[in-house]
Amino acid sequence: MKTDPHATFRNVIDKTLAGGASPEDDRSLQEHLAACAQCQEYLSAGTRVIASLGGFSFDVDPGLERKVLWSLTVRAQQLETAQSHRRRIVWGCVGALVLLITGSFVALEFGNLVAASLNLPPMQVQRLLLLVWVIPSLCLSLLFPILPVLSHREERFL
Amino acid sequence: MTEYDMTSVGRVSNDSQQIARGLRERDIALLHALVEQYQYRLVRYLIYLLGRRDEVDDLVQETWVRVLERGRSYDGRSRFEPWLFAIARNLTIDHIRRRKTLSLAIDLDSDDGGEQDKTPRSPASNDPSPFVLAARTEDAQRLAQSMQTLDFIYREVLVLRFQEDLSLQEVATVVGAPVSTVASRIYRGLQTLRTLLDGTKHEN
Repeated sequence: MKTDPHATFRNVIDKTLAGGASPEDDRSLQEHLAACAQCQEYLSAGTRVIASLGGFSFDVDPGLERKVLWSLTVRAQQLETAQSHRRRIVWGCVGALVLLITGSFVALEFGNLVAASLNLPPMQVQRLLLLVWVIPSLCLSLLFPILPVLSHREERFL
Repeated sequence: MTEYDMTSVGRVSNDSQQIARGLRERDIALLHALVEQYQYRLVRYLIYLLGRRDEVDDLVQETWVRVLERGRSYDGRSRFEPWLFAIARNLTIDHIRRRKTLSLAIDLDSDDGGEQDKTPRSPASNDPSPFVLAARTEDAQRLAQSMQTLDFIYREVLVLRFQEDLSLQEVATVVGAPVSTVASRIYRGLQTLRTLLDGTKHEN
């Protein structure tokens, strides 16, 4: 079965125009074009189409850039606020955990000493420490991670 | 409306690493410079994609906001342009889907037993083609009407390859298709326009 050489070279021309032809393709095409007016015409028609695409010049609303810049600035501020909010929550959580650990340590290590020096039952002192230090810091460390959820719900409600 | 000043192109360094760093840090000054540099190209790409002008400005705005939000996902290992156009493309496709769902919902809502108006509801359907308005050369004028009827999958690869000067690989990244598919879309698009251009030339 014979293949049409022009059809083959038209494919090569398409490839060349699209930028996907190999150096060998280019070389054989150049040799063929030197002697083929039909394929030369096909190539110049393709080149002309590509050149025509450059003949469109679209108008841009001069206010568009200002609008874009404004919305970018607003969005950046929103993102920055959200980020610093998250950061505060993380630090608050860390702080509450530190208090919790320190409180527990103090309750365990010094509870008995304090009780002995104040002539109080050790159990009572430990309960007191638990009430004023350990439980509040535990509550805070549990509350901080759910603060964003609560505030988001409040915003939606409003 | 004024013609966009192309002399501003090139003010921002093309160093993609620098752009990636700026986007990671949400550097507003860099973003402003990028907007200035890429605004016209983004508008042009979106017009080629949508085939209409009226929704482009909103999509441009959305695209830049998305660039700000997702800037950290750009690693700077490839050029910025394909990443930008891919964002614009995804947003446009979402927008088209939403529009289709909405128009379908309106059609269903107004379905009152066959008495309703069956004319197209798109407000922009009678607007002049953006290509007709933008044609500055004789050949472009000849192509203008056909550009509107050419499927967007051909229009977008043509603009990305020949106007934006992206490589086949980069175009494939933007459109999310294999390089071979992109290449055949370019051949088909060129073939269609070549026939149309030849046809109108002979008519004239």
